[in-house]
Amino acid sequence: PRTAMAMAWRAAPRAAARLLLGRRGIASCIDPSTGLTEDQKEFQKVALDFAAKEMAPYMAEWDEKEIFPVETMRKAAQLGFGGIYVKPDVGGSGLSRLDTSIIFEALATGCTSTTAYMSIHNMCVWMIDTFGNEEQRHRFCPSLCSMEKFASYCLTEPGSGSDAASLLTSAQRKGDTYVLNGSKAFISGGGDTDVYVVMCRTGGPGPKGISCLVLEKGMPGLSFGKKEKKVGWNSQPTRAVIFEDCVVPVGNRLGAEGQGFSIAMQGLNGGRINIASCSLGAAHASVLLAQEHLTVRKQFGEPLANNQYLQFRLAEMATRLVAARLMVRNAARALQEGREDAAVLCSMAKLFATDECFGICNQALQMHGGYGYLKDYAVQQFVRDIRVHQILEG
Amino acid sequence: QAIDDDCNQTGQLLAAMLDWPQGTFASRVQLEAGHVLVEREVDGGLETLRLRLPAVLTADLRLNEPRYATLPNIMKAKKKPLEVIPAAELGVPAGPPRLKVLQVQEPPPRAGGEKVESVESLVGKLRHAGRI
Repeated sequence: PRTAMAMAWRAAPRAAARLLLGRRGIASCIDPSTGLTEDQKEFQKVALDFAAKEMAPYMAEWDEKEIFPVETMRKAAQLGFGGIYVKPDVGGSGLSRLDTSIIFEALATGCTSTTAYMSIHNMCVWMIDTFGNEEQRHRFCPSLCSMEKFASYCLTEPGSGSDAASLLTSAQRKGDTYVLNGSKAFISGGGDTDVYVVMCRTGGPGPKGISCLVLEKGMPGLSFGKKEKKVGWNSQPTRAVIFEDCVVPVGNRLGAEGQGFSIAMQGLNGGRINIASCSLGAAHASVLLAQEHLTVRKQFGEPLANNQYLQFRLAEMATRLVAARLMVRNAARALQEGREDAAVLCSMAKLFATDECFGICNQALQMHGGYGYLKDYAVQQFVRDIRVHQILEG
Repeated sequence: QAIDDDCNQTGQLLAAMLDWPQGTFASRVQLEAGHVLVEREVDGGLETLRLRLPAVLTADLRLNEPRYATLPNIMKAKKKPLEVIPAAELGVPAGPPRLKVLQVQEPPPRAGGEKVESVESLVGKLRHAGRI
């Protein structure tokens, strides 16, 4: 079955599914199920099955044609992937941060770009679930958990990326509404999604003047820029979100005025774990692809796998993958336990895992030689898709 | 996966005991009035049978795509009650067993082989031993 695996990634959908599933039976030093509870292994199994059958066969097409795979994501939502760590009373699955990390890591082996979008969607629903009042939770969360509606997160602006607290989008209070003016940049899903969680300035400068509002597509004054052309993440559209005297009811504000930045920072902790988890999945898939290629490709009369240099490099890749995975899962545990060091661990895990995993995917591409540069082979898409994980989410 | 150790016997035994028709290795099933149309995976390809109902069917993996388990269901699975019903309560006799053990023996210990010098010698020896 291993020989066929490389071919499966670029050929028939059914073959891809069976072979990616087949490898799970192999005891392996990079097995992502070690140390997990029985339940977690079951979640992982469902996610890996789904990734192999519903995502992997289509990831190249979604990338090439820039398709936002709405129906596939809705299928995922039916299994509970639309609001993984959202409370069950509003349609969520009520799982932990570690469970979530395991699930996103597994889904990312099928299509990293789509999984990354799903993680952003999940974060938005969690924000409404956690910081919204009962009315808001019941108004927004159920249709988001089922992915009947999709969400986008709007924090970044043309003038404020890393310096998020300096954001300029203003929300002036007028009676029982806010009037928004300004624009957001690089918004994942922007223009195609229905619900927008927007950080805007209701008060003075700095973090304490920022509040969080929930907007819906169709509100007058809410418009979108052109669809950006990206190196990767092509299965999710990215657009600017523009507010021109956009009127939003006060009842759409999450939490108190001035609480927005705190909400954003808390969201970021989970967001970092999620993005890092997506990188882990991509790296895992890439290591398997490289391993496969090394056994198939022959040079100098032997399979590349007989070459000690390549054996050492593969071993290093495996080691770095496991190290990154441990960082991410450790941070997830700290976050769900509410430990003091959670934020720092999430940041470190994100930094370490996204960098290491990019290196792993890049090395896997190198091991494919010239073939690694062709779009017929999946490894280049993993490289392109996770490059941005080193940039966004701080 | 079948629970009869993959012996491929349970469905067939049941049909014989009930004296019902059987359609095994079903890859496609279509219900008609009083009958069932069963497409079976056989060594030579596909065989289609029309069976009078009631009938016993066994499923081949090509019959359908299993559903994915949902996250909530996975979590509920552990909490489902496991009801244990003694066979006597169902009126099913537990014995006597319908199998009789005739003999149990170890396979014979591995005997040494013999090396020959040529192909002709090998063929001769095999012929002599009645193997070819």
